[in-house]
This record gives sequence, structure tokens and C-alpha cells, in this order.
Amino acid sequence: MTSRGGEDRSKRSAGIVPYGLLSPGILWLLLFFLVPLVTLGRTSLSVKASRFDPNDIRLTWELSNYTNAIGDYSEQFLRSFAYAGIATVACILIGYPIAYVIAFRGGRYRNVLLGLVVIPFFTSFLIRTLAWVNVLSDKGPVVSAIEYLQFSGLLESLGIMSDGRLLSTHTAVVGGLTYNFLPFMILPIYVSLEKIDLGLADAAKDLYNNGWQAFRKVVLPLSLPGLFAGSLLTFIPASGDFVNAKFLGGPRNTMIGSVIQDRFLVQGDLPTAAALSFMLMIIMTIGTLIYARMLGTDDLI
Amino acid sequence: MSTGSQPPETALGRAGRWGLTAFAAAGFVYLFLPIAVIVVYSFNKPRGKFNIIWQEFTLDNWKSPFAPGPLTDAMVLSLKVAAISAVVATILGTLMALALVRYRFRGGVLIGLLLVLPITTPEIVMGSSLATLFISRGVQRGFVTILIAHVLFCTSFVALTVKARIRGFDWNLEDAAMDLGASPWRTFSRVTLPLITPGILAAGLLSFALSIDDFIITFFNSGSEETFPLRIFGASRTQISPQINVLSTVVLLGSITLMLVGVVFRRRTDGH
Amino acid sequence: MTTNPVPPRLSGGPLLSRRTLIARMSALAAAGVVGPGLLAACGSDDESAGGPSNALWHDNWPAYMDEETLDLFRKDSGLDFKYTEGFNDNNEYFAKVQADLAAKKSIGPDIITPTFWLAARLIDLGWVQEVPFDNIPNAANLVPQLRKPAWDPDGRFSLPYASGMTGIAYNIAETGRELTSTGDLFDPAFKGRVGMLLEMRDTVGLTMLLTGQDPTKATFEGATEAFSMIEDATSSGQIRQFTGNDYMDDLATGNYAACIGWSGDVLQLSLDNPDIRFVIPDEGGMQWSDVMVIPSGSTNAANTAKWMNYLYDPENAARITSYVGYNTPVEGVQAVMAAGDEAQQALAKSQLLFPDAATLDRLSVFANLDPEAEAAFDERFSEITGA
Repeated sequence: MTSRGGEDRSKRSAGIVPYGLLSPGILWLLLFFLVPLVTLGRTSLSVKASRFDPNDIRLTWELSNYTNAIGDYSEQFLRSFAYAGIATVACILIGYPIAYVIAFRGGRYRNVLLGLVVIPFFTSFLIRTLAWVNVLSDKGPVVSAIEYLQFSGLLESLGIMSDGRLLSTHTAVVGGLTYNFLPFMILPIYVSLEKIDLGLADAAKDLYNNGWQAFRKVVLPLSLPGLFAGSLLTFIPASGDFVNAKFLGGPRNTMIGSVIQDRFLVQGDLPTAAALSFMLMIIMTIGTLIYARMLGTDDLI
Repeated sequence: MSTGSQPPETALGRAGRWGLTAFAAAGFVYLFLPIAVIVVYSFNKPRGKFNIIWQEFTLDNWKSPFAPGPLTDAMVLSLKVAAISAVVATILGTLMALALVRYRFRGGVLIGLLLVLPITTPEIVMGSSLATLFISRGVQRGFVTILIAHVLFCTSFVALTVKARIRGFDWNLEDAAMDLGASPWRTFSRVTLPLITPGILAAGLLSFALSIDDFIITFFNSGSEETFPLRIFGASRTQISPQINVLSTVVLLGSITLMLVGVVFRRRTDGH
Repeated sequence: MTTNPVPPRLSGGPLLSRRTLIARMSALAAAGVVGPGLLAACGSDDESAGGPSNALWHDNWPAYMDEETLDLFRKDSGLDFKYTEGFNDNNEYFAKVQADLAAKKSIGPDIITPTFWLAARLIDLGWVQEVPFDNIPNAANLVPQLRKPAWDPDGRFSLPYASGMTGIAYNIAETGRELTSTGDLFDPAFKGRVGMLLEMRDTVGLTMLLTGQDPTKATFEGATEAFSMIEDATSSGQIRQFTGNDYMDDLATGNYAACIGWSGDVLQLSLDNPDIRFVIPDEGGMQWSDVMVIPSGSTNAANTAKWMNYLYDPENAARITSYVGYNTPVEGVQAVMAAGDEAQQALAKSQLLFPDAATLDRLSVFANLDPEAEAAFDERFSEITGA
């Protein structure tokens, strides 16, 4: 990799050329990303003048859309962040060892193993989730195994199972989120681990004469950027998801995405949906910035 | 890995190593568990309309994976959308990446932020805000709006991927070619393009994959059109036919093939 | 009443193709590779907007049509007939198309198939056009009781597609006993293994019957008790999930012991699993119809008439009915099926498919709600279902 200085030296300042290259993409992003956010903000402060005509929306600076939305759906907001948070931690716990093994033990099979991580995700997101419905169902392999091993009592008391089932519980929703976003955790961690000089890792082992110490003092800090990116790439989509909650959860496991989807696409209640969406975005942006500051990372991706 | 010069491993260390590898192996089993279910059920012969309970083994579902019907139509639509949006997004994103890497100009930080935001915004926010725009402007949602949405989220990924790939190149080659009297177009096609092509191809494939599997954003902006994920969503509420499993398996095999082709291709180009 | 054992399915597999794999593959390849061809193909969706054309588009519920009928009609009429399964939920469909309908734009399909109450709303709003009955001679086969229904008092704007019954579906292997009442769904023995429908009128209507209320004259006050029952059962975990048609997966796999279900689905499902039964509760069941309407933006009246006429031919209707398993609004279908092959003859005797007067007497059709009442019902219901 070249240093920043070297990179800059190779850069040209060529008047309007860069703007010409940038303008189509920028235009697209402005028109279809920023402008819609403005419209979303407007709609979130409007009232629906007619029950059945979504075109008839009037801007009245209706702040009550927000207060009502918070009043009615704070439960789903909190639940979403809790589910997404647990799923992110689970992804780290499952994904880090996998990334570590691929990076340091994969040898010449590294690329094959990486491919194996990605391959399951070439099937549709929905199909994968539906397959989990099958796997976790009351008569499915997982529940049968738990019953055979007589773990159900333990799992019930831990709140992992309820009424002898996994499907349509919070466990299944969090499990689905974990599964579906796992590669977004593994890949960035792998990328940051891969960059670590093997000699450095070995030197650390010699220095501390203890694998765990070497990992904690050298490898882990160096892989923080990957952990950071992976956490964001997992937490953000997970907290806005409604597919896992729909297929794997019950009426008491709905997430904020379920509510936005229902308000917008089923009830046709655009102002409430817009207020919820807008809040979700603000919370995500602020959260991301705080997280970046905490970990001292300037480069977001 | 160099293991020769290391001090002898303690029993604890060895157990840890094995434990870690076993854990990773279990991780792979976990990753493939639902995939196995999908593939296995593509060989099921349901008696009614529902491919839910294992009945008996059959190859019938595989005789015509692209039998005419809503599912195949949806797949064709998804392929169309993915192909077009991958091409458009790759062009837009690559141009942006080139500008960001090759030129000095004002506002670079802002533009970087603008590129990252679509990736750090939850899909449901992007989908609902775009749909709100279309509704408020009276734009009918359908094929074109699906494309607009897909190009949007693909462009950011392309720009960032290509940017990361080409950041370290030795651009002096370009100047050298110009100094030797090559025209700017010739320089671009003979020097720049070959340099950046692998990165662009990777980004294009990524776009294609992102687009073909997108559900949430498309769900908000599809109107009466139905992409493959939308069809599965619809089918999940009524009729999960084995054809869904067959087509998913076909997509899976197709992607694996593409990946292998990519690996072979890279080996060859690396060899030169 | 429980389902009769149903013989193996009559019509051929809907997904089996007569075309070769290679033809489809090359079509796919062409679609994926040829740029300009693509754009031309995309434009074809707008054909319905201009003048007389060869195009026709029907958007219907999934699993509501057999592939053979579509093939036959395409061959017969020579039309470029697009048939999609875009209906999954009435409210969702309405939310999807309302912006365009309100703006008097074409939504794409020439025929859509909302449930009766949504059809009533579309007719009230003036968002649908008259059915071209002059060119549909077979419409004379419409059963008399559906000619001037409450949702379309003049019978000018809609033509029924299929009707069905809402009752209790259960898996006797899981319940261990026959069920007879909606009250059985609230039995703590089935905690976490009971499903209800997202279709508000079915779930609330059935529960209202349980509480002694008459859903044909439903008011929000009258439904208070039913709503609280459902709400309590949801927060206690008695009710596992609210769904659309996907309750069938849960019933078949044994996730549900019992749920609110639709007659035709259960008929189909009992093919896979004879333990699955359907009963009209002692307190009564609900009845509904899905009806064809023509969105105001469609300009394809001639082709629309051809298809509707085709559907109302008893021979064609018999084929569709055998596949779909719901009650046909076309007279003469039972006679056709009674003269058909063995399997069709058995279906012709099914009380689920051709209910007699005594059965019909036990069914109620949910009241036509005015917009305010409807809003109150919807709001309360979506509060309970958690989204």
C-alpha cells in the first residue's frame, strides 16, 4: 500500500474533470437519497387529509406524529435495538473465531474457506429465513434434539425456549438475525486479520509466551477496525429488519421495521411511518458517530 | 505458517487450538444447515400444494426448473433488474471512485460521506423514503422505480469497492504513456482500463448479487411488479412449491460457478 | 362437519412445463445479456395504456388458478395474457395501489381480485369501472344470491371470483379431540399453538360470534369484548401468530394445534395430511367472497370481457374449482363435476365445496363498515397484532 503522501503526489488537480466524473453519481445520490430523506422529513410532519388518498398529505408541522409514535411504539424501538445488539454480539462470538481460523490456520485454503462463508448467502435472504422456520419448527430437528437430551427445562428457565418451542419466540428472531448478517461480520474481521503480519503475531507469542496474551495485546487491537465495520454492518441492517421478526417471531416479537412496514405498506399511514423511519435514521446516525468516536476510528468503512 | 521455531506448545495451548478449529468447523455446519434444507426439499414430492412435509424423493421438480409461470417471470425480472442496475451502478460508481482516487478537488470529504450514508442507513429507511418521494411526486412505482432504487444502493458499494481496489496503483504508468505520445483515450484503454478492470468486475458482481437478493427496498418501490424475492415472500404466505427450492439451488450453483470462474480467471491473469 | 377424505389431486401439476428447458434457458440468457431488448421488453408493460391491444393482465391471489386453464385460454384467445399472484393481503394490496388509483392512473393490471369489503371500498371511491356485462354472456351463470350483493348493490361493478368459509382448522393428532367451537382456540391446553388470521373480519367476526354478537351488524362497541378476548390471548402467549395463508404451514407441520382457517385451504391441506380437519363452529362461521373488479385506469374492456366470460363457463369453472378448492359462484359446476372422473365426482359431494342450505345458514358475512368504524376496527386490530 502506498502512503497517504505518495497517493497525494499521484493525484492531479485538473479543474472540472473530477466534477464531471462525479456528477452522474452525485446527481443520483442527491435525487434519490437526499431528496427522499427531505420528503420523508416533510411527510413525518404532515397530516393525512384523506383516509384513502395518500397523495393528499398536508404539511402542518404535526409534531404529534413523533410524540404519538414514541408513545405507541417505544416498545418496538427498544426491542429492535436489543435484538440487533444481541445478534451483533452473537455474530462476533461466532464470526471472530471463524475469521481467525481462516486467516491464521487457513493456509492455502483461505480462499476456499472464505468462499464457503459466502456461498450460503447466494441463496435468497427470504429462502434462508424460511429454511430456519423449517429447522426450528416444533417438530423439527432442533427442538426434537433438545427434547431428547432433556434440555428443555433448562432452556425454559433461561428464557431461551417458551412453552416448549423455539419458533415464534425472541430466540428464533435473534437467531435468524445472527445467521443472516453473519458474513457481514466475518468478512471485515477477516480482512483486518489478514493484514496482520504473521511474523508480528509470532513475535508476540514469543514475547508473552502465552497465546491468549498475545492475542489480547496484539491481534485483537489490530483487528478492531474490522470488528468496528462488522458491528455496524450487522447492527444497522438488523435493527431495521422485519423479515426475521415476521417469519420467526410472534406478535410479541415485532420490531420497529415491522411497524414501519405495516404502517406504510398495509395501513397506508405515511406520516406515522415517516416519523418512525426518520427517528430510526437519526438514532442510527448519532449512534454510529458516537461508536466511531469511542473506538477512535475516523474512516467509517 | 511457520511453526518450526516455536517453543513447544503446552497441553492447554494445544487444546485451545483444537477447540478453536472445532468451533470454526461447527460454524461452517451452522452456515450450511439451512442451505441443506433448501436443497433437500427441492427433491421432495409434496402431495398437495405445499412443500412443507417431507413425502418422498423425486427428480420431477428438476425436469423443468424454468417452467413458465409467476416464479420464472419473477426470476427473469430479477435478472433484468440486476443486470441493468449492475451496469449502471458500476459505471456511476467507477467514475466516482476514479475521481476520488485520481484527482484533488474541494468537497472530497462531503462526497465520501454521501457515499457512506446509503450503506449506514437501514434499508427500511431508504425504501420508505424513496417510496414517499415517488408517492408525493405522483410517480407510478414499477420497473423503473425498482431500477432507481437498486442503482442507488449499488452505486455506493461500487464506488467504495473500486476505490479501495485502485487506491494503491502506480498511476505514473498513465503519465508515462501520455509522455510517450499516447492519446488520452489510448492511454485510458491501454493502460488505465486494464489496471482497474478486476476491481470493476468485482464491484459489478457485488452489485448484481446485492440487487438480485434485495427484498426490503424493493418491497416498498415495486408497485405491481414482482421480483424473485418478492415472489418468494408472496409464496411464503400460500404456496411454497418445490420450484422455489429448485430455482434457489440453481442460483446457488450458478453463483458458485461464477465464483470458480473468477478464481480461475484471477489465477490466469496473475500468472502473466 | 369435518372434511371428507379427498382423493388425490385432479388437475396436473401446475408447475410442470411442456416447453423444453433449453428454450427457457436461452430466454433467460437473452434477458440477462441483451441490453436494448431488455428495455423494449420493459416498455411492454405499459401496453395496456394505449388503444386496443392484445394484452390482458389479471392480478390474483396465489394458488387461485391452475396452469392448464391459463394455457388453454391463451391458446383459445390468442391474447398476450399476463397472470400474476400479487394479492397476499387486502390492506397491503390497497396500500400498494391507492396512490395511483387516487390519481386516476393505471395500476397495471386490468382485473384485480379484492375481497368483498375492499371491493366495496373501491366501488364507493369510484376507483373501478363497470364490468362490460354486454360482452360476458356467461355472466348469466352467476348464482342468484350473489347478483346484487351488499358490496355492490347494483351488481354493475364486480363479478365474484370465488367464495369461501371461515371456521376452525385443527390438527387432530395435536389436539387429541374434535373441536366444535371458536372457544376451543382459547383453551389453555393449546397455549402457544393457536393461530389467528390477519384478515380482521375473519378473526374478529368469528370471535364476535363466540361472544354472542352478530357480525352482520357489527359495531365497534359490539366488538369490544371480542377484541379484549383476542388481546388477552395474545399477551398471554395463547395465540402464537397472526398470519395470512401461511397458517397452513404451521398447521401441517404441527406447530399449530388449531387455528382460524379457510375452507378451501384445509381441503387442499387434507391431501397432505388426513389429520387436518375443518369445522364451522357451533356459534357459526364467516363467509366471504373474492370479487373481480376493473381498476378505472384499465383500457382493455374487450379482452377483460373475454377472460371473464371464459371463467364463467361451467366447464372451465369446474376445472378451476377442482384445483382451488373454494366455492364457485358459477352455476352448473357441481353438475359438470358430478359427471366428471372419479376424483371430481367425490369433490362434487364435498360440503366444503358445495355447501347445502343448512350449512350456508350457519355462515355470516361481516357488515359493511363505514369509513370511521372501519378505521377504529383496523386501528384496534393492528394494535393487538403487534405491528
